[in-house]
Amino acid sequence: MKKRRSRLPPRERWLAYGLLAPAFGAVALLIAWPFWVIVQMSVRPSRSLELSTLLSQPLGLANFERVLGHPATWQAFAHSAVYTLGTLVPAFLIGLVAALLFHRAFPARRWLRSLLLMPWAVPGVIVSINFLWMFDASFGVVNSVLRRLGLLSTDLAWFVDADTAMFAVILPTVWKSFPFFAITMLAALQSIPLSLYEAARVDGATAWQQFVYVTWPGIRGPAMLAVLLNTLWTFREFDIIFASTGGGPAGATETLGILLYREAFSSFRFGTAAALGVLMITTAGLVVVAGFRWLREDTT
Amino acid sequence: MIPAWHRCAFFALAIALIAVVLFPVYWMVVTSVLPSSTVLSRQPPLVPPIDAMSFAAYVEVFRRRPVLTWMLNSAMVVAGSTLVSLVIATLAGYSLSRFHTPAQRVAGATLLLSKMLPGSLIVIPFFVMFSTLHLIDSIAGLVIANVSVGVPFATWMMKGFFDTLPRELEQAAKIDGCNDLQALWYIVLPLARPGLAACGIYLAIVAWSEFVFARTLVTKPDNWLVTVGLQSFVGEYLVEWPALMAAGVVSLIPMFVLFVLLEPFLVSGMTSGAVKQ
Repeated sequence: MKKRRSRLPPRERWLAYGLLAPAFGAVALLIAWPFWVIVQMSVRPSRSLELSTLLSQPLGLANFERVLGHPATWQAFAHSAVYTLGTLVPAFLIGLVAALLFHRAFPARRWLRSLLLMPWAVPGVIVSINFLWMFDASFGVVNSVLRRLGLLSTDLAWFVDADTAMFAVILPTVWKSFPFFAITMLAALQSIPLSLYEAARVDGATAWQQFVYVTWPGIRGPAMLAVLLNTLWTFREFDIIFASTGGGPAGATETLGILLYREAFSSFRFGTAAALGVLMITTAGLVVVAGFRWLREDTT
Repeated sequence: MIPAWHRCAFFALAIALIAVVLFPVYWMVVTSVLPSSTVLSRQPPLVPPIDAMSFAAYVEVFRRRPVLTWMLNSAMVVAGSTLVSLVIATLAGYSLSRFHTPAQRVAGATLLLSKMLPGSLIVIPFFVMFSTLHLIDSIAGLVIANVSVGVPFATWMMKGFFDTLPRELEQAAKIDGCNDLQALWYIVLPLARPGLAACGIYLAIVAWSEFVFARTLVTKPDNWLVTVGLQSFVGEYLVEWPALMAAGVVSLIPMFVLFVLLEPFLVSGMTSGAVKQ
């Protein structure tokens, strides 16, 4: 066990904080300060991008009133929720199956594992472009295969049709995010002692019982942490939707992240965009608090 | 002993899963090596006819678009932000691993906050800041923006790695007359090379994929990064799919090479908890 010391000797304290100083500077300048600017923008009714002009404005909640009173905000909230949950569930299940399979011994496992997890390294924009092409209405390979199988008679434009657009943006997101689950759960599986499985077999446990009583308790903690982190990631995901539908058609895939970006850089209403951002971070914060409480109860 | 047929069955299942998962990448490559006339068909061939294959789209896209310039811009941003983030994160990670200070809690909270900050939001203050500092349209600006993403998780990743190295190493070095910094430089860092490599690769992959900063903080097409350049094809009236796929394949190759090097570190679990998407 490491010994916890409340006070370091002065020389070590200099070293400890000296080594931290560049990181502290980077975080103060590139995270804390931008965060402060966002909060300031959200509570000042001004369109100015000049910080001194902005700060001379009176405080007010006009931006929040505008944002909360607008149906587009609530629609975007709903879209974010559908998009996040719609991605999370399949990505988790595929990741779990992949992890269980690749935990087994078979030839060339190391190389096949790298291949399987590759989608993680593909930039979101390229994922988008790729799926746009595969799901193209007339020349897309997916429609071609569906037509050959007799499952589709029309040229379904997956990304353009308001009914299918959400599904169309969720699919590439699942493709990009399942490896994260697989990696986390594979790492957790490797930490389960083999002797536990031997003991379970001696006691006559079936494969399903081994999963329920040995495997799942062994990976539950990391798996739940991965769920939490992936929720945060999907909730703020921007690249895949922006590069494929841009939030369209008619706002059908407009999540909060997309809405606030368009508010800022298409409509140049930075105040309302910042207010939307504050709402987004608050929501993410609530998810984190609930998630950690749940994690703690689950593991103790 | 695991029976041989089990191993074969698992192998077959793994191949089947990979075939489904990697179909999009396969299709990207197939599209890039076929002429538009074959590709723009209502029944495209699933297996490309060998005699129709050509690399014309690759030549074409590099000749007609500044793809090479975009890739070089991306490479500069990746190199700059990876290097800066890695240096800052190594020092901070070492401090967090070796000394118990209140900074440990702050670092954890910062990591969490950085995972909650949407890129499309934090780009607004960067836009304000860079407009004032004349950093719009500059490589330096993009490097700075990427460092904001890289430092929090790289610090945590390096801390996790230093935690696996025994403290006795530095104690022995100090007995031999090294001071603290010499012990870090001559003893700890050489042993931390695998961790530094993994962390650097991780940073590079994340920076190469970055889109929202590059799209917002750069305006001139000559200064675009590869993600923005490729996305610009999509808005056109007639998308040249083979050319776009060819450029996409070329931009993916460095990522795949890096990923094959990085993957064992990720799965070994050393970095679990620090893994950032």
